[in-house]
Amino acid sequence: MSLTKAKAATRRAFGERVVELGKIHPDFVVFESDLGKSSQSNLFGDAFPNRYFNMGIAELNTMAAAAGMAAGGRTAFVASYSVFLTMRALEAVRSFVCYPKLNVKLYASHGGLTAAIDGVSHQGTEDIAFMTTLPNMKVLVPADSAAARAACDLALETPGPVFVRLMRDPLYEIYEPGEKFVIGGSKVVRPGADITIASYGDILFQSLMAADDLAKKGIEAEVLDLYSLKPVDTAAVLASVRKTGALLVAENHQARNGLGYELAVCCLKNCPVPFDNLGLQDTFAESGDYGLIIDKYGFSAAKIAEAAERLLRERRTEEIHSPALGG
Amino acid sequence: MNTALSNQRAAELAAIAHQIRFHVIDMVYKAQSGHISPGLGSADIMASLFFEVLRIDPQNPKWADRDRFVLSKGHSCPVLYTSLALRGFFPVAELDTLRKLGSRLQGHPIAGYLPGIEAASGSLGMGASQAVGMALEGRMLGAKYDIWALLGDGETNEGLIWETAMAAAKYKLGNLVFIVDRNGLQTDGACDTVMPTEPLDKKFEAFNWKVFKIDGHNIPEIVATMQAAREYREGPVCIIAKTTKGKGVRFMENTTEWHAKAPNTEQYQRALVELEESGV
Repeated sequence: MSLTKAKAATRRAFGERVVELGKIHPDFVVFESDLGKSSQSNLFGDAFPNRYFNMGIAELNTMAAAAGMAAGGRTAFVASYSVFLTMRALEAVRSFVCYPKLNVKLYASHGGLTAAIDGVSHQGTEDIAFMTTLPNMKVLVPADSAAARAACDLALETPGPVFVRLMRDPLYEIYEPGEKFVIGGSKVVRPGADITIASYGDILFQSLMAADDLAKKGIEAEVLDLYSLKPVDTAAVLASVRKTGALLVAENHQARNGLGYELAVCCLKNCPVPFDNLGLQDTFAESGDYGLIIDKYGFSAAKIAEAAERLLRERRTEEIHSPALGG
Repeated sequence: MNTALSNQRAAELAAIAHQIRFHVIDMVYKAQSGHISPGLGSADIMASLFFEVLRIDPQNPKWADRDRFVLSKGHSCPVLYTSLALRGFFPVAELDTLRKLGSRLQGHPIAGYLPGIEAASGSLGMGASQAVGMALEGRMLGAKYDIWALLGDGETNEGLIWETAMAAAKYKLGNLVFIVDRNGLQTDGACDTVMPTEPLDKKFEAFNWKVFKIDGHNIPEIVATMQAAREYREGPVCIIAKTTKGKGVRFMENTTEWHAKAPNTEQYQRALVELEESGV
């Protein structure tokens, strides 16, 4: 699969799809907390003013009121930045959306360090940890426009709470329009036999670039897009690592309690292999250019490629010292 | 405001409030856990709501046009469970299962298990906020039902209450009524010392709510005010009901001690005797 420069960010693609779905499905509503121009939920507000509730700069009330509206069975999308949805409104999400399994769909822009330039207060770098930990919650992170549109459809058609993490800035397109995505699914975006690189969202692109660099050195990496973080496609991960014998996870999130931890547990239980996970190493990031930031904090294409080579070197060393454990 | 309650009906509601108080004490004693004194204080309000004011049907708890009641002060759920059971939503005997494993009577309310429970609550402020969402839903549907929420006065410490108050006024939610159980006490002491909330009426008025102040134990006044609140359609209404926490059991009245404490057998028996003597 090849990358082309994206014209619009995933938040835009998602926001446009919400409007299209609004024309097909007359019943769902959208809640916003005064960030509509940024989350792109204002597109829905312009199209359907009577189905759009801007509750002001009050994320907690926005979430709990959306829960109240959903109590009768109606579906409510709630838009904001990921950091506010997953932390300021976290308790409402946990106890009043997830516990009663309401049809509230969290529509979170500025996930991870895609809001790099805005600084730490606006960077949702713990959002996946919070959301995947909540019972009844499903978590999707689309990498591009086609995936974002599909995530919107999945959020609407899947009963119960769904969290969708979106990006602030346009990056790349990888999927054809109409590509099929499912809850609990994944994609092998590049096949390879030497190491598995598992990723999602914006870091999928870095992983693919890393795989290109590794190929020049004779290392064929298999790159997985785990766009469904919960439920996560452990079967696909295990099938891949049984073939490659090594797993590297790269994500735009705290390394702790993200996809890396999830897959580490999965591999320890089922198929222990040399493993590493790249993400924020128990630190906050800072303001700056997106490309420079993800490199400084260790999950750019260059850092992913370095880590993959390191893992493979370690595996070779292990094989020399304990041949019985070799692949 | 002038829809007068007959003396006979007022007496019947008072008798129901008495029964509610009995069961609140009884179920918390049997569970050896739960909140007694908030329930005793709001029993007259709950009797008025569930037996006179709310449009509800225990035989058809999901009736589309029913009024929705949210106990925003969710810790006070023994009084809600009791009111629902006495009203016929589920067997009174089930009150004995409060907080026990497998019970539908959870430590704090959750919708979907016990008929008549409309929302999860227990984290203060969240019920009021959900009530705003329910009122928006009712208005969107053009429905006839109203949304009623009972709040604690300590609960108004929560910033969320004021987010809620702004939103309800923005949308002119004439189908929404908050009742504040104004007993003047919260867990750690008097509201005035923990976090002063006066003038509470002026605060809600400043947020563009219609406010009534009443005696929360005067059943004819409670019912008449609730009817007036229902008739007022221009925006949200807040009824500030002055109550006595622990009402009906002298040693539990006007103290925070019995907010979340279960009585031992001697205290339980004494409480029931005092309740009988109190006349409420």
